[in-house]
Amino acid sequence: MKEKWKRFTDAVRQSSWRVRLSAVVMGSGQFLYKRYGKGLIYFLSEIAVIAYFIIRGGSDLAGFFTLGTVKGDAWLGTEGDNSVIMMLMGIFAWIVLAVFLLLYVSNLKDAWMSQKLDEAGREQPKFRRELAQLLDRKFYVTVLALPVLGVCIFNILPIVFMILIAFTNYGGAIVPPELVDWIGFSNFTKLVTLSQFAPTFFKILGWNLIWAAASTALNYFAGLGLALLLNKDCVKGKAIWRAFPILAYAIPGFITLVAFKFMFSYGGPINQLIVDAGGTAVGFLGLDAKWTARLIGLLVNCWISVPSIMLLATGHLSNRDMSLYEAAKIDGATPFQQFRKLTLPFMLFATTPVLLGQFIGNFNNFGIFYFLRGGLYVDGYFLASDTDLLINWLYNLSIDNNYYCIGAAISLVIFLITSMLSLIVYVKSPSYREEDTFQ
Amino acid sequence: MKRKAAAGMAAVMALSACLAAGCGGEKQNGTEAPQQQGQQGQQSQTGGSGVFNGELEHDVVIQVLENDTAIEQKYFDELIRAFNEAYRDYGITAVDANMDQYLDLANDGPYGFGPDVLYQANDVIMKYVEGKHVYPIPVEQLECYDKIPEAAWKAYETEVDGEVYTCGVPVNIQAGMLYYRKDLLPENWETEWDDDGNGVPDMVESWNELYEFSMERHAEDPSKYGYMKSLNDMYFSSGFLFSYGGYIFGDNNTNPEDIGLAAGEAEKGAWVLEQLASAMNEECIDDTITTNVYSKMADGSYFATMTTPDVYTLFLDELKRAYVAEEGLSEEDAMAKAEENLVMTELPKLPESGDLTEINPSLIDTKAMGGVNGYAISAYTKAPNACLAFVDFATSYEMMLKRNELLGIAPAREDAAAETGGISEILYNNLEAGNVVLMPSITEVGQIWTPGQTFFTDLAMDVFRPENEKKYPDLEALHQGLEDVSQEIHDAIFTLQ
Repeated sequence: MKEKWKRFTDAVRQSSWRVRLSAVVMGSGQFLYKRYGKGLIYFLSEIAVIAYFIIRGGSDLAGFFTLGTVKGDAWLGTEGDNSVIMMLMGIFAWIVLAVFLLLYVSNLKDAWMSQKLDEAGREQPKFRRELAQLLDRKFYVTVLALPVLGVCIFNILPIVFMILIAFTNYGGAIVPPELVDWIGFSNFTKLVTLSQFAPTFFKILGWNLIWAAASTALNYFAGLGLALLLNKDCVKGKAIWRAFPILAYAIPGFITLVAFKFMFSYGGPINQLIVDAGGTAVGFLGLDAKWTARLIGLLVNCWISVPSIMLLATGHLSNRDMSLYEAAKIDGATPFQQFRKLTLPFMLFATTPVLLGQFIGNFNNFGIFYFLRGGLYVDGYFLASDTDLLINWLYNLSIDNNYYCIGAAISLVIFLITSMLSLIVYVKSPSYREEDTFQ
Repeated sequence: MKRKAAAGMAAVMALSACLAAGCGGEKQNGTEAPQQQGQQGQQSQTGGSGVFNGELEHDVVIQVLENDTAIEQKYFDELIRAFNEAYRDYGITAVDANMDQYLDLANDGPYGFGPDVLYQANDVIMKYVEGKHVYPIPVEQLECYDKIPEAAWKAYETEVDGEVYTCGVPVNIQAGMLYYRKDLLPENWETEWDDDGNGVPDMVESWNELYEFSMERHAEDPSKYGYMKSLNDMYFSSGFLFSYGGYIFGDNNTNPEDIGLAAGEAEKGAWVLEQLASAMNEECIDDTITTNVYSKMADGSYFATMTTPDVYTLFLDELKRAYVAEEGLSEEDAMAKAEENLVMTELPKLPESGDLTEINPSLIDTKAMGGVNGYAISAYTKAPNACLAFVDFATSYEMMLKRNELLGIAPAREDAAAETGGISEILYNNLEAGNVVLMPSITEVGQIWTPGQTFFTDLAMDVFRPENEKKYPDLEALHQGLEDVSQEIHDAIFTLQ
């Protein structure tokens, strides 16, 4: 860091007036060193950005801070400010500003390089050759430029927007044309301090972690078990047996969930069998069915997810080194020992990233309990039921009750939890620590 | 903040000035004489928004969002064809907006994506009023104005700075009705089940009698039931609370601070529901009955149920199919028999005491939650006067009759309801008598459904819990349950405001 700073101060001290002029008028340094093409591009970039900020970027940046000052009134034809759009355009202006700063720094570095070449009496790079390099040595720049731009607009912008919503009072009665305001960390404070929110938040968070861990483990071992079973030589008609889980996989998830909801309803076939056998109907997914409903959710999720794990495991299992198993057998290892010492480490090594994906997918598994047991708020929970995951609660709050800002705050918490857990697990996993082992 | 306040003040002053031009221009018949509207508009300002100056915009296309059934049953085709013909000289063309019924005008409208005219339920239209996404309409100018009951207009009224504005035009009324099968009545009903000798079975006139009949029918054959209904549906179940003094929001459903599901003796309504559940089975706890009621009524398992008039044809078709399959009747004969036996009538009366086993009880009217569907005009339309002309045309006597003929809806217009008779008139009279309690028209209504559904699910479930696990063993517990759900709704609305 110190070295870098020293290099920077030296460069500032030693830079010629041409380079310094570039700090004011981008491209001028390149122009003075007779690199007209590149100089023109830098110059036009500066003009374009200045024009953008004069036309709307400046007001967009200001609007980002105020989020609007005039309330719209369609009855009077008063257009007013739309806080949400202002925030979006404000973020866009920040992105443009950031890109401009990168260009600005690159312009100075480029001018400094020209000065160095000039001082060394070497030839300045030709514009045509620099362009040609974009198809050769710097091909990655050409290839990545558009995707990076796309990621900025379609990925970073919405994510930043969602994050920033968590710091506003957007939602409830405060939706356009009402003006939204910045409120700092109030939403996060409410989440952990409000008597209605805090207990629900921690109860749901606890269940969410149990659910994510349990369902990931269940799906993984069930899928692996099924793959191992169908890999056995003694199993006849493997192709047919493998096709059945694929059918379950091929049916859209929500249709499966609605079908299971019907099966477990009071008038569904399971209760019909119970009633026909002389029993009374059971509320498998009813209001009182906390753990029954949770268990059904785990099993239904297993039904939906196992086929994909089975397919994955089948592929990986075919890559095993079978001589290790031969050796283990000769050494007297039992089938379970072979599984624990050979199959499992091999599979974990190959599938840890997939497992993490499964974990995050299950942590944010919205559909299972929305379709199986949606539309209930249970005692002791604020606008949620005892099977709801954080993502379901987020939906209840933001969509059913318009609390967008609290919803955004919860999503941020979900993001922090899942990203931290994923990072820790991945860094500790053999996939990361022993990356070269199987290459 | 000061700037916002100043802007608000300016907006209020401008609105007042704009609306001070007044309303109450001479009435006109937009259906028959579009030319008059154009001429008159030049002479008078109108109520509602100042944009309705009566000067019809020429050569414009107005996008109309109708409901899916009206489009499927070709009513909408007839409506826009007739309108376009009447307004051809002005170059005004109404077209199908071709948008999802569940559009979001608040988010789409400002960017020019919403329809110009929309047909929706009163609660949906009124949620757009808060952000002024729909215009206040000069309803006194419409031909239908004095033909529609005040209660229906009230569903679309809003108050801004002390002024009352109407933001929708009622088209039809919806509320729960009792459906039953005449051919499932006991053979001796005229001697045993018609004490007052009025020719109407007692079990469809009083919930006490219906409860007794349900118990008897189930006792005779355990696979058969009398009245069956999923009780978790707040739209239908809340009427029992209203009948005993309960309400959703105070001040005529406009004050979300005051949630009154436990008001009056609402717990008696909850008790009635519990008693009715005891005459059903566990299927009343979830949606099972809502899903299977058509087939179960058709195969005779259920005698009666409660639902809205717009699904009458679904019951009829199912019953017709059953007659064809079971009795080998021709399609025509089966349909005639189904029409003869499927009866849709007003809800039975409730015992004042709430006790369905009481002999000779003092009876009160049953109230039901209802809704008024109607037209509204988007505040983002470029042709408000043409839109108003369309609404005037679509709510004319002739179009209301046509709508009733093709869709079977109950018109909000008094003259059309009288002409179509039957259920329309009953609904109309119930609305006038206050027995149809209209869904609140404030945005907070969106937050009552899930807490309400949870309570009614719990209530129905309680009937099937063992004695020692019952949550609502008496009226006091029921009252507390209603207090709790009211508090939950209040918290949902106000926790973050």
